[in-house]
Amino acid sequence: MARYGMVLDYKNCINCKACEVACKEENGVLLGADAHRIWVGVDEIKGEYPLLDIVSSTFMPSQCQHCDNAPCEEVCPTHATYYDDNGVVRVDIDKCILCSYCMNACPYDARYVDSRTMTVDKCNFCSDTRLSNGEVTTACQATCPTKVRIFGDLDDPDSEISEILRTREHFTLKPHLGTKPKLFYVM
Amino acid sequence: MNLKNIIPIKEGFTLKSLFEYEKTPLNNFVAVTTISLVLLFFMGVITYLMHGHHAYNVTREHPWGLLIGMYVFFVVSSTGLCIISSFGHVFNIKEFKIIGKRAIAGAIIAILSGFAVIAFEIGHPVTMMIYNVLSPGLTSAIWWMGTLYGLYLTLIIFEFILLQKNDHKWGWYFSLGGLVIGVIAHSNLGSVFGFLIARPISNGVFYPVYFILSAMITGSYLIFLLYGFRYKMNFPPEVTAMLTKLAKVLGLLLAILIFFEAWKFLTAIYGGKPEKADVALHILGGANFWIGEFLLGMLIPFIIVIYSKGKAIHTLVWASITGMVGIFFMRYDLVHDTQLFPMQTLKIREYQLAPTWIEYFPSFAEIAISIGAIGIAIAMYYVASKAFELDHR
Repeated sequence: MARYGMVLDYKNCINCKACEVACKEENGVLLGADAHRIWVGVDEIKGEYPLLDIVSSTFMPSQCQHCDNAPCEEVCPTHATYYDDNGVVRVDIDKCILCSYCMNACPYDARYVDSRTMTVDKCNFCSDTRLSNGEVTTACQATCPTKVRIFGDLDDPDSEISEILRTREHFTLKPHLGTKPKLFYVM
Repeated sequence: MNLKNIIPIKEGFTLKSLFEYEKTPLNNFVAVTTISLVLLFFMGVITYLMHGHHAYNVTREHPWGLLIGMYVFFVVSSTGLCIISSFGHVFNIKEFKIIGKRAIAGAIIAILSGFAVIAFEIGHPVTMMIYNVLSPGLTSAIWWMGTLYGLYLTLIIFEFILLQKNDHKWGWYFSLGGLVIGVIAHSNLGSVFGFLIARPISNGVFYPVYFILSAMITGSYLIFLLYGFRYKMNFPPEVTAMLTKLAKVLGLLLAILIFFEAWKFLTAIYGGKPEKADVALHILGGANFWIGEFLLGMLIPFIIVIYSKGKAIHTLVWASITGMVGIFFMRYDLVHDTQLFPMQTLKIREYQLAPTWIEYFPSFAEIAISIGAIGIAIAMYYVASKAFELDHR
């Protein structure tokens, strides 16, 4: 079995939001549910005209971090949130009781209530729609025009993601919490 | 099987007798208030049944609202009454032996009222009952909360039955069991918040300890209120002795609570740790804390105890009303303050939303169910006081 993760070459992001659209289409996220399953954070340009710090403006795509030590999985009273065989943090909607504890426990704000099922959902790396069919891409990755996202098996030393993590400096979000995210931002 | 074989019921108790009470202005006021609150509760429930969770003002950024606060309010009350009653029943402190039946009845009613509230907060309560058993999440504080409170309720129901039967030998075992499981369950409820590593303002040891302390304070306020109403302020000597002693215990507990709170905020602010110091300062900038929690919940009762050396028990009955309002603010703030800081914020490089505090105000359905549940509790207490002998001999 694989251990899937994602690298985000965030400096390539042009904030076209194609990833958000593709994710919504792929996973049936309702219109108006902005910044729910995945999103692009915008760091605005600092300074005052004409002394603008142009390079300070960055776009930061984000989503569920698929933590190896996920607080949302730990707090779930019915194991509705679980790790699948690929290390992906997923939700079994039949078991979700909508106690919302996972929403409070997630340090990355990655969980939201799906208004169709009234259960707490999240990114699952397109496990239902792609990985289960033998594909090894996610909708957001496949659609990204500037190749911000590299998805792959962290346990495979020959995978592109492993190669990038070996050769490029990277960081994870809130590493001090010990959640061990599997989303990596390369510098 | 006849119910009277299981638990002794007062002679002459019938459904009709529920409508017979002494028609004093105070009793009439309480009756009208209770009926209004019960109606309010059902209006809230109907709104919830029509609109589901959309009837609530909880959001993605603020998923827990007033109902969670009210649930905590009730279960804190239950545990508090159980702990205070154990002074007499478990630890054999003479003055407190008289409160056992009334306090345990109150504890059962309070936790049932809490369950009535949480039943409309959990999105899928039937699924919860099935998968709590079939797929238990043993690392989840919420799973333990449900399991331990279920066990606690069972034990205190047995304790109440045995007290009614004057079986003090078995009653002692069950009251000890109820106390131990109640304390574990309740501090575990504190850990529901204390375990949240994502929320630095709540994360840590404070809440599991604070919950037990504030439960005892809540239990003391409720004992003052229950006995103040029962005897209409004309206390017999043994009740006066009990309340005078309880007032001194309450004074000590309030002093410890004020001490705890002071250090909680000082340690939160000192050093300026992000997501902790700023949240603590924001809390201290609001009236909820200073007027709701501190003035009503702590300072007024504390000053009365200190000034009167615990002897002003009549005044303390009135102060217990402000005390319970303060306790309500403590529960509401506990839930709201935990979620004040947005998890996605702009201008800190990894986040997204603009840096602002998360706003929340409960909807009509939330207010109706929460406040209405107080009416459910009073109604249940009224039925219990009619059906069972709650007075000491």
